[in-house]
Parts: sequence; C-alpha cells; structure tokens
Amino acid sequence: MLAFAPLVFPTYGMTLLTEALILGLFAMSLDLMVGYTRLVSFGHAAAYGFGAYACGWLLLHTSLPMLATIPIAALLAGVIAVGVAWVCTQATGVSFSMLTLAFAQLLYAVAYKWTGVTGGSDGLAGIPRRSGPFSLHIFITRNGFYYLVLLVLSGAFLFCRTLVRSPFGAVLRGIRENEAKTLALGYNTRAYKIAVVALSYALGALAGALYAPFAGFANTELLFWLLSGQVLIMVIVGGAGTLIGPMLGAAFFLTVEHQLSNYTEAWALFFGLIFIAFVIFAPEGIWGIIRARFRRRTAVESEYRRGVAGAQ
Amino acid sequence: MDLTAFLVVESLNALSQAALLFFLGVGLTLIFGIMRIVNFAHGTFYMLGAFIGYSAVRFSGSFWLALALAPLAVGIVGALFELGILRRLYRRDESAFLMVTFGLALVLTELIRLGWGSEALQIEPPLTFSGIVFVFDEPFPTYRLFLVSAGILVALTIWLFLERSRLGLLIRATSQNAEMVHALGTDIRLVRSAVFGIGCGLAGLGGVLAAPLVTASIGMAAEMIIDAFVIVIIGGMGSFPGSLLGAVLVAFVQVFGEYYLPDLALAFMYLVMLLVLVVRPGGLLGKEA
Amino acid sequence: MALLELNELTRHFGGLVAVDHVSMRVEEGEVRAVIGPNGAGKSTLFNLITGVLKPSQGSIGFAGEDIAGLSTPRICQRGIARTFQLTALFPQMTARENVRLAAQAREQRRWQFYGGSGVFTAAGRRADMALGRLGLSAVADRPAGLLSHGDQRLLEVAMALLQEPRLLLLDEPTQGLSLEETGQAVEVLSGLLAEGNMSVLLVEHDMEVVFRLAQRITVLHRGAVIADGLPDEVRLDAVVQTAYLGGFA
Repeated sequence: MLAFAPLVFPTYGMTLLTEALILGLFAMSLDLMVGYTRLVSFGHAAAYGFGAYACGWLLLHTSLPMLATIPIAALLAGVIAVGVAWVCTQATGVSFSMLTLAFAQLLYAVAYKWTGVTGGSDGLAGIPRRSGPFSLHIFITRNGFYYLVLLVLSGAFLFCRTLVRSPFGAVLRGIRENEAKTLALGYNTRAYKIAVVALSYALGALAGALYAPFAGFANTELLFWLLSGQVLIMVIVGGAGTLIGPMLGAAFFLTVEHQLSNYTEAWALFFGLIFIAFVIFAPEGIWGIIRARFRRRTAVESEYRRGVAGAQ
Repeated sequence: MDLTAFLVVESLNALSQAALLFFLGVGLTLIFGIMRIVNFAHGTFYMLGAFIGYSAVRFSGSFWLALALAPLAVGIVGALFELGILRRLYRRDESAFLMVTFGLALVLTELIRLGWGSEALQIEPPLTFSGIVFVFDEPFPTYRLFLVSAGILVALTIWLFLERSRLGLLIRATSQNAEMVHALGTDIRLVRSAVFGIGCGLAGLGGVLAAPLVTASIGMAAEMIIDAFVIVIIGGMGSFPGSLLGAVLVAFVQVFGEYYLPDLALAFMYLVMLLVLVVRPGGLLGKEA
Repeated sequence: MALLELNELTRHFGGLVAVDHVSMRVEEGEVRAVIGPNGAGKSTLFNLITGVLKPSQGSIGFAGEDIAGLSTPRICQRGIARTFQLTALFPQMTARENVRLAAQAREQRRWQFYGGSGVFTAAGRRADMALGRLGLSAVADRPAGLLSHGDQRLLEVAMALLQEPRLLLLDEPTQGLSLEETGQAVEVLSGLLAEGNMSVLLVEHDMEVVFRLAQRITVLHRGAVIADGLPDEVRLDAVVQTAYLGGFA
C-alpha cells in the first residue's frame, strides 16, 4: 500500500513520509529493547546520531556509494554496541537506564568537541547521496530514496518480527516478565540482553544512517537526550512490544509536530503531556487499543489485565 | 600560585560546588528512600529553581526574596505533581515511574523554554556576597564561601529535622517500613506528597543558589540528572549522609578533574559511576544490594 | 557418593549468621524435608544451593563437583531446579507458554533467533505432557497470573520438572493453599516422586505434608542443624520439640 504513495502525494508530503518511515525504523529498533525485554533506554539517540555521523562522514570523505555506507555505519554501530551493552547490562532497572543516558551524553560531548571529525556544533553538512555500485542511480531522487527507505524498513520489520516470534524472542519475553525466573530456568539472561541491545542499537544506527543522506546533514541534535526522549515516547504512545505500534507512534509524532507547530510553539509540551497521559491511562498505546478491538491474541493480555484490575 | 595556595583555593571551590550538588542529591535520595522512585525530573526542578529565581530577582530586585520564593514554588509544583500524577501509579512497576518522571522532565523543560526562552540567563549575586576575599593572596569570591556555609547550614537543618521532628521521624520510619507506618494510622500519602515536595524544593534551592555562578540555561537538565544520580549512587540510594559524601566526592572529582584533564572529566565521572554500580550496587554507604 | 553434599556451609549478612556451618548429605532418589521455625535459614539455604547467594564459608558438592560460586544458570544446567516461596511465574503468558519456556531451556537451539517451529513443537509437546501430569491441562490457555493459587504452585512444579533436574528444591509448595488444595497437591507430588529417581529437598511448614512425603528430615534452628534423621526419630527428639515451643508430636 505504501508502495503507491509517490503516485498520490505531493513532493512535500513525500519528504514527510520518508522521514516518518525513518523515524518509524528508529522507534521500532527501540521497541526491541523497551517493549520486548523491558530494558528502558534513555540514550537511544546515541545509535541514531552515531549512524548518521558515521554514514555522513563516509559519504563526505570517501567515494563509497550510499548503498555501502549505510550498512557499514549500521554494522559498525552494532559492533561497538556490544561493548556498550556489556557495560550497561552490568546494572539493572534505573541504573541501566542511567548508564544508557550517560553513554549518550558522552557521545554528545565527544561529537561537540571533536570538531575535526564531527564539525562540532555545526555538524556535517552537504552530505551527498552517492549513487552506485554499478551506476545504480535509482535511489538518488526523492522518490527513489523513499523506496530505498521503504525497502530497508520492510526488511528490518520482517527481521524483527521473525526475531520476536522465535525461541530467542520467547526468552526475551521471559526476561521482560520475570528475569529472576528466567535465570532460574537456566538461561544466561545477560547474554540475551547484550544481544538484544546490540541489535537494537544497530537498527537504530541504520535509521540514522538513512537520515544522513536524506537530510543532507548530521549534527549534535541527533545525539541529544531530547531525541532519546522523543523516540521513547513514540514507542510508548504507539504501543510498546508490538513493532507496529512504535511505527504508528513515529507517524503520530511527526504529524503532531507538523500540524501543531503551525498553531503554537508549545507542541512539544503537548506531546509530553500526551505521553504522561498514555503512561497512566493507556500503557498499551494506540496500536494496543486498536488491536484489542479486533484480534484474539491480545485477549489473553486484556483478560489478564481485567482479572488483575477486578481483583484489586 | 604555590601548591598550598592552589590546593586550598581549589578545595574551597570544590566545597562550594559540593554544596550545590548536595542540594541536588539530597532531594533525590530522600525521594528514593521514601517512595522508591528515581525522579528523573530532578535536574529539571533544579533548573526551574534557577529560572524562577531569575524572575524573582528581576521583579523584586532582592536576591533574598528569590532565595525564599524559588524553592517554595518548586516544592509546590513537585507536590502537585505527586498528588495529581504519581499517586495513580503506585501499583505499577518501576518503569512506569521512570517514564512518567521523564515525561515530566520534558514537559517542564518545554515550559521553561516557553516561559523564559532558550537564552542563558544571568543573575547577580546579592550585594552582601558579591565581593572578594583573599585566600593565600588569591582572590576568591565571597559568594562561594556563602555557598559553603549555606550547604553546611542546610545539611544541619535537614539532619535535625530528620532526627528530632515528628515529620522527620515519620519519614525515617516510612523509608524502613512503609506498611507499618500506615498500619499505625498515619496517612502515608501525605508523607509521600510532603517528601516529594521537599525533595523538589531542595533541588530548586540548589538551582537558585547556583544561578549567580552558572548561567541558567536549558541544557542543564540532562547533566544535572546524571550528576544527581551519580551522587546518590555513590552515597547509596536513600542515605542522607551518603548524599553528603557523594556530593563532596563528585565535586572534588569535577573540580580537580577539570583542572588536570579538562576534556576527560565527563568520561571520568561516568567511569566512577560505573565502578560503583559494579563493585557495590548499594552505594558506598548504602545497604547491601 | 551423595548427590548433594553440604560441608560446613555458612552465610552471614553483616553480623547476622543466616546459615551456620550446615553439613548435610542427600542421596540419589532421596526425599529430604528441611524444617524449622521462621528465620531458621531455610530459604537462604536454597539461595546458596542455587547460586543466588555465594557462601561465606564452606562448600556445596553436587554430583562430585563443588558448585559454590557458580552462576544460577550454570547450576541449573547441571541439574538443579527450584520453585520459589513467593510464586514466580510469567503472569501475562499462558500456562502452556510458561511451561514451554521451561522446556525450551533443554533444547539444543533454544537461542535460535529465527523460525523455531522445531524447537517450539518439541518443547510444546513436553510442556503439554507436564501439564497433564500435574492436572493443569484444563487451564493451559489461561494467563498464568489468573490461575488459582493452588494451580500456580503446581505450574511452578511443572516448570521445575521440565528442567529434568536430578535435584529438585521445593520451597514451601503448599504455602497459601486451602486444605483441599493442599490435599490435591500432596497427591500429585507423591505420585511424581514415586515414579522418578529425582532427589528432592523440601522446605515445608505443614507437618502433615512433611510426614506424607519425606523419607528423612533435617531440622534447622537459627541457621544450624539441630536434628537430622528419620521422621519418627525427629518427631520424638527433645531438642527439636523445644525449638518449636510446644512441639508437634
């Protein structure tokens, strides 16, 4: 369905849609951690920013084509993320969240100061969309790039969906619901957590790597904690633990940003309030609400929730 | 400047920094001790104190008025938040608290930006303390000395409050066994609102006191919450003396680190946090994990 | 050689000695009850054996190997399974999914991150069998958090069984159960214990359950062993009776 979008939307709409898809990928990557394993990260912007900077730098300083720099940036992020994950998973709960934030702040500070490589507070500008290999030009244009993003997002979505339905995914859910019990069953939960965090960061970096040639620039805003917060909001409001929910959350966020910012400067404020409201009243998010009306699978969870609520 | 002079001056600097950090950390540790919540918005309350202080000074011309008003206002905001929002979440798991206070941090940050703009703001220290004193022939702002005394004064007051007053006793009892206190007839909810308000108010106090030294700006919040967290982690979650120790340690690391390894100070802090979390998850003075 | 050998096992928390130089041997296939007043150190003992806590002193020998200090998953893989005093389940997953996750742990490719139908089918089959043995087939598709307390306790036992343990640690399995539920649980448990060659360490407060199921009894008091022997011996032991203030003869 989304494949036909360029035929329908005007140019401005296409840009918006592409950005929505990129953010959707970013949000979905966080969902693996937050929704499926209950590892709340306050520093996911680190993945996004790193991916953007890495890809941008490669495009500016080497003659590698876009189709190469994007996966390279994501892979690089994934490898580094294993180390970061190892450190962060030393702690649990709030301490874990704080460590992820600390790491993101660290990256932010590095990007700010290392002006030689990152351009400091100005960032990298003029990032080209380089065609290739084999003179493959189709992804350079606005519509072409849109299809690239759509392809990547679809691929990532299929990958994530397979992952959460696999035995590995079942263990993640166990960790989410009762980590002590999962340990007692004989699973090395630390290893699973490191794996999911690294994967999550790699996919987040993939989104960032798409952003760099999309927007043509990369700057420290992409590493700032506000962005980490915004993507967390997208996941929660959209519906954590559903993969689709966060994508909806991203679209919702972007829509609100563009519509409300015409009327008021305080749109971010409203968004924060909406977030708080969702955490309190609708923790299953938009998608969760939609699903609850239609599909049977969620019936188990709502039955549980109703049962628990009734018992209180 | 010879070594002794250098050490003394820098230590005084560190102590004044420690005072500010103490105001930040003690509120967070109190809130955690009583409510088992890590208030992610704590840094934002600190910031709010600075900005309210700025406005109070602009309108009244009196720093002392601002000093009284800002913590009060911030404390009220905190208490209201607890009443309206946090109360609904006590049955949920801890990640709900984390996210709600995070949402609060975002909302407050935006409110501040709307109210005061994104520019950094500066206020003047009060005339009484805007002078200079000579320590070992080096000029040293009296305001910093004022901070150190304020820190000591407040620490003593809090200690007396916790040890001697009725509410303080309730607070200490609640941190150890909330159910028992509830069973004995006290309305736990009031204790919680009070503690959250006081904790935030203390952060606001830190903010307004910090304003003459550090220009108040939007970017402060993230740094501050990490600092606050590190302090509380080092000293032990919920430990009052721990927050004092943590504040002093962090301040010294920051001040001397800034001098010797300016770019690495940030990384060093996180390293310290990491080490403490790994070696003694309960903090240096806290209970065993 | 005994399956489980505790030698001068000690654990203190600051000034408090929770487990005090406990020495104990459990043979293959033996059902041993560990009893004692509250605070006697029984749960701490279980936590030590399963690697949740590290001993301050002493050793824990399992099948000839000293397992003190190993991580919980490693100990589990060597063949020790436990249930918890406060029911530990995955509340939002169905009973079947709970048990299947336990069964999955024994599968070769349990970490597989794609597909998995092979793993799931094999684990699912074993899960359904376990549910049947414990009389839980009827509630297999209900969320575990909504099962009755008695069914939840049995579900935990099912999960522990699926770990195919050589040593099963049951931490107060009948706690919180009604008289009728306790009777049912005891029926199920005695049936299970009769068929296998599993060793069992059972912590219990309900003496009738203990006398129904246990072959030997170890009595703990303030962290130390004060009696150890056949049920009838222990029942008549004067020291034990004093410790319990009023006895249970």
